[in-house]
Amino acid sequence: MTNPHDSDEFLVAADIHKSLGGLQAVDGVSFTIRNQEIFGLLGPNGAGKTTTIRILATVLRPDEGNVKIGGHSVVDSADEVRKLIGVCPQEVALYPELSALDNLTFFGRMAGLGRRETQSVARENLERVGLADRGKDAVSKFSGGMKRRMNIAVALMSNPALLMLDEPTVGIDPQSRSHIFETILQLRNEGMTVLYTTHYMEEADRLCDRIGIIDNGRVIALDTVQALKARIGDPDSTTLEEVFLDLTGRSLRD
Amino acid sequence: MIRPLYIAFVELNRYIRDRGALALGIALPIVIFAVMYGAFGGGTAFNGTAHIADLDPGPKSDELIDRLSQVQGLDIEFYTESEMDDALSRSAVTLGAIIPADFSKSLDAGEPTSITFRQRGSGGGEGQIVASIIRGAAQEIADEALVRSVVNRSIPDAAATPDAVDDTIDAILAQAADSPPVAVRTQIIGEDEQDVILLFLPGTLVMFLMFTIMLGSTSIVEDRRIGILERLLTTRLSVNQLFIGKFISFVVIAAFQAFILLGLAFVVLRPAGPTVFAQMIAFSILVSLALSALGLVIAGVSKTQDQASWYGVSFTLYMSVFGGAFFDAGTAAGPLEFLSRFTVSRYAIDALRSIASGAETIFDQSLEIAVLGAVAALGLTAARLLFRAAEGGR
Repeated sequence: MTNPHDSDEFLVAADIHKSLGGLQAVDGVSFTIRNQEIFGLLGPNGAGKTTTIRILATVLRPDEGNVKIGGHSVVDSADEVRKLIGVCPQEVALYPELSALDNLTFFGRMAGLGRRETQSVARENLERVGLADRGKDAVSKFSGGMKRRMNIAVALMSNPALLMLDEPTVGIDPQSRSHIFETILQLRNEGMTVLYTTHYMEEADRLCDRIGIIDNGRVIALDTVQALKARIGDPDSTTLEEVFLDLTGRSLRD
Repeated sequence: MIRPLYIAFVELNRYIRDRGALALGIALPIVIFAVMYGAFGGGTAFNGTAHIADLDPGPKSDELIDRLSQVQGLDIEFYTESEMDDALSRSAVTLGAIIPADFSKSLDAGEPTSITFRQRGSGGGEGQIVASIIRGAAQEIADEALVRSVVNRSIPDAAATPDAVDDTIDAILAQAADSPPVAVRTQIIGEDEQDVILLFLPGTLVMFLMFTIMLGSTSIVEDRRIGILERLLTTRLSVNQLFIGKFISFVVIAAFQAFILLGLAFVVLRPAGPTVFAQMIAFSILVSLALSALGLVIAGVSKTQDQASWYGVSFTLYMSVFGGAFFDAGTAAGPLEFLSRFTVSRYAIDALRSIASGAETIFDQSLEIAVLGAVAALGLTAARLLFRAAEGGR
């Protein structure tokens, strides 16, 4: 789980643009993610977060600009990029009829692991997300929190250097959320780089080393949590939510 | 090649674990088969019941009943004379045969005897046919008894023992049965006389395969909706591998269901032999290839499960109605014949009917194989392009 890129910047997004259905979803986004940091990407609904993540995950090609992950371009070397990333989408993208172990095995094989390696990595990841004793149960029988943890476990099956988590804690109980936080911090401590998007400001405040705030397809602020708070007041008494609302405004977005 | 096979394996695993789909997959062929069996009673041969009151304790009535029991499709129910009258009065029976108590004795003595048919009105169509069958069997026994009587009377007592005479007569009668002086042959004129099972089984099979494939296409749309397809695209799996994996799983599931439906039909109804069965299975796999490709096209153009379901149902209905599932598209005329040319099922059903009837083999279906092969190739190409054109496709 060591980053193969020597530079301190593991991901470099440079002026990426993407329009979808006639709308400019991403309009010149640039940012970097350093090795072994947890980088938060925040923004209101429709700001362009998910489109940005889909570009980073090689699902969408940018209309303009480029992203390099571990030194590989998502445009020209998407296959190489895919070897480095693990993606946990917003949706619980699992086969509900299959057991947890079968899901992990399947995605492990798709990530290019061999049969034996898949089995051991699957059990390791089940242990990591606190589902070691539920491996043989069908995912359809899991609670919302368990499914979310499984969603992360699947993203870890490729032993990624960069883990992308798109709102991984939506609709789960505090226990599962806390477990997910601990897992992410542990992964970072083991050398993984993490890209984290969320609508929960306290999550970003607690987890992220640096935060980029995106709105209307552009990055409007990018700094450490403390530095962002200092922009509008005393960092010790200002909340990240206040910073977010100050930057993105209070008008409804959907 | 391992990844597409693994995708197909997982799809089959999901199919087996989805009790609803599995129940539908296994139960539906059984239900369809049961409907076919119930509707056609296992074939076009006559099926009926002979209601008999046998008052004769002798061997000739036993022989008559033995002969009747050998008539294909004829069941025999026994009554006492009063039970028979009661059944007739209740219309539970429309025609019954009374074998008189002296039936054997009279025949042995070379004297005339009679079987009485008691019936309500005309006795009904089935009753009249059963009466004819009984009349024919009784006539045979009477003729044989007459021959024995005449021969025995004609041979002087010292010329041969009665057993030797009987043995000789039995041998001659057996020879006559094997090579009757007047043979009766059946010539089927026109396809309307074709076995009903063979006429409808191919259409039912193809319609069923279409439903299976269409249901499969909705599952792909669901995979896309819940993000599984997109998640797979972030792995080292190529789109082509994903595509081939899904295609293989469609074909395997369809072939499995064809095997169940055809297997049931062939085991129970025995419309033809194992060679025909093997050819029909092989051709069904070819049909599954073409339909699976079309299923992927539907998955490619559908944005929601509802859309996929409606496209699938419309497609299946068009193919079934105009493709010859319920009529012979080859002999249809006018617009019906014209429209049937644009269905996959016409070519599939035509070929399966020809194979099922034994008139042709799978190797004679070059046009149909070419059409289905072309549909499979074009369908796969179109579906692949649709996947490429979709958001996030490549």
